[in-house]
Amino acid sequence: MSTFWSLWVMFLVVLNGSITLFLFMWAQKVEIPVLEDGTTGHVWAHGVLRESVRRLPGWWTVASAAFFIWMCGYLLMFPGFGGFQGLRGWSSHQELALDVARNDANIADLQAQFASLTPAQLAANPEAQQIGERLFIDNCAACHQRDARGNPRLGAPNLVDADWIWGGDDASIATSILEGRQGVMPALGSIGAGKVTDVANYVLSLSGAPHDGARAAAGAAEFVVCSACHGANGEGNPMLGAPRLADSTWTWGKGDLAMIEKTVTDGAHGVMPAWKARLTESDTRAIIAWLRSQSQERLARL
Amino acid sequence: MAKGYRYFEAIEKHAGKLGILTAIMVSIGGLAEITPLFVEAHAITAVEGVKPYDPLRLAGKDIYVREGCYTCHTQMIRALRAETQRYGHYSISSESVYDRPHQWGSKRTGPDLARVGGKYSDEWQRLHLMDPRAVVKASNMPGYPWLAGEKIDAGDIVARMRALRRLGDPYTDEDLAGAPAALEGKTSLDALVAYLQGLGLPPEAQAAP
Repeated sequence: MSTFWSLWVMFLVVLNGSITLFLFMWAQKVEIPVLEDGTTGHVWAHGVLRESVRRLPGWWTVASAAFFIWMCGYLLMFPGFGGFQGLRGWSSHQELALDVARNDANIADLQAQFASLTPAQLAANPEAQQIGERLFIDNCAACHQRDARGNPRLGAPNLVDADWIWGGDDASIATSILEGRQGVMPALGSIGAGKVTDVANYVLSLSGAPHDGARAAAGAAEFVVCSACHGANGEGNPMLGAPRLADSTWTWGKGDLAMIEKTVTDGAHGVMPAWKARLTESDTRAIIAWLRSQSQERLARL
Repeated sequence: MAKGYRYFEAIEKHAGKLGILTAIMVSIGGLAEITPLFVEAHAITAVEGVKPYDPLRLAGKDIYVREGCYTCHTQMIRALRAETQRYGHYSISSESVYDRPHQWGSKRTGPDLARVGGKYSDEWQRLHLMDPRAVVKASNMPGYPWLAGEKIDAGDIVARMRALRRLGDPYTDEDLAGAPAALEGKTSLDALVAYLQGLGLPPEAQAAP
């Protein structure tokens, strides 16, 4: 705030305060002339209502005076009087820094304790579970859904099954979260719609899903191109994020022929954003721990 | 003190005089609180690296305003721990110098969007705008499917850039000349996604749309 505007605000604050304080002090002493019957002579409703005069209640006067004192005290201690920052040197940013520091101190012990545990051990810790679940809901659930079962429309995989496209060890999952992943399947529609259907049937045959045997046999030859990433038998490749095709888990869609044909024709591009700007390493471990506990629970239920 | 009473009478019995004096007293507050900010707002300069919107994001910003996104989403992270923990660093005024008008908003039905850029993939944003329930089952946000079928009018955006330049935004002649090519074949959906994906990111982290 420039000096001019600072003085401008100070002037107006003093002006406003002075006028109201003057009216407050002066008006109390003003005597209102009354008629012999004790009323002011003001009448309403053709004389049915007549205005009388009573003193202001004491509590009102005291409360009003207290407001003036409070105003002076506030402007002395806190920012508000032009550019004057107040004697306490309070600022909202400083307050935030203090609040964050207080919170960090509160959870420091917990964090230190967590740092010595693996995600598998954290999965048994109820406090870590709460933190992990909260972080998951706020950051991951938009794509992977609240129950972590994934969203086949986005190619967001199920995170509570045993199948991991980019590797299921703690380090691989942490990398997936912090650095993000881009799963790119090129569009292969140029081989022609007939051959796309053949190869899609072959893909279904890999997991033993219902398919057209003749078309699948014809598609086997075409699958050579796919095997570069997905492996000769559709076993997938976690180095490339090429999903395993020889199982009943599907990343895009739910394993129906039409969706496989579409994926082969148009390709697919799954994007896991990088979270390192938003999540710490410790957050990541809490999330992995929560996912581990969820998949354990789920496996136990099955 | 009967004299004092006459002053009250002079004011209270004349509605016009009473109105004018009341207005003066009330406007002292406005003069102190609004005028300095109003004038000083023009003195706020862009934080280093904040550039005016590229043509596609500018188009997206105008769609954001047109569709009233600000009625449910704020772009104002307050300096409170619960907010900075969830959304990131608190918002600062120099980040929104190129927002005309600013999109701070005043009510959250949905989350704050000040730093949503890059949080989700482009495909997520696309699908979410077309049909929010496709990605967030419990969402009560309306879908905006018509955006996908709406072509951006490049001439219109260039005219807006020219107007913004007149207001002081540092668009160069090359920026204006390059706009039609940048907007070629783009839809309102592309523009809005590009705008959202750039929100709150430092410029070097903003991928070319």
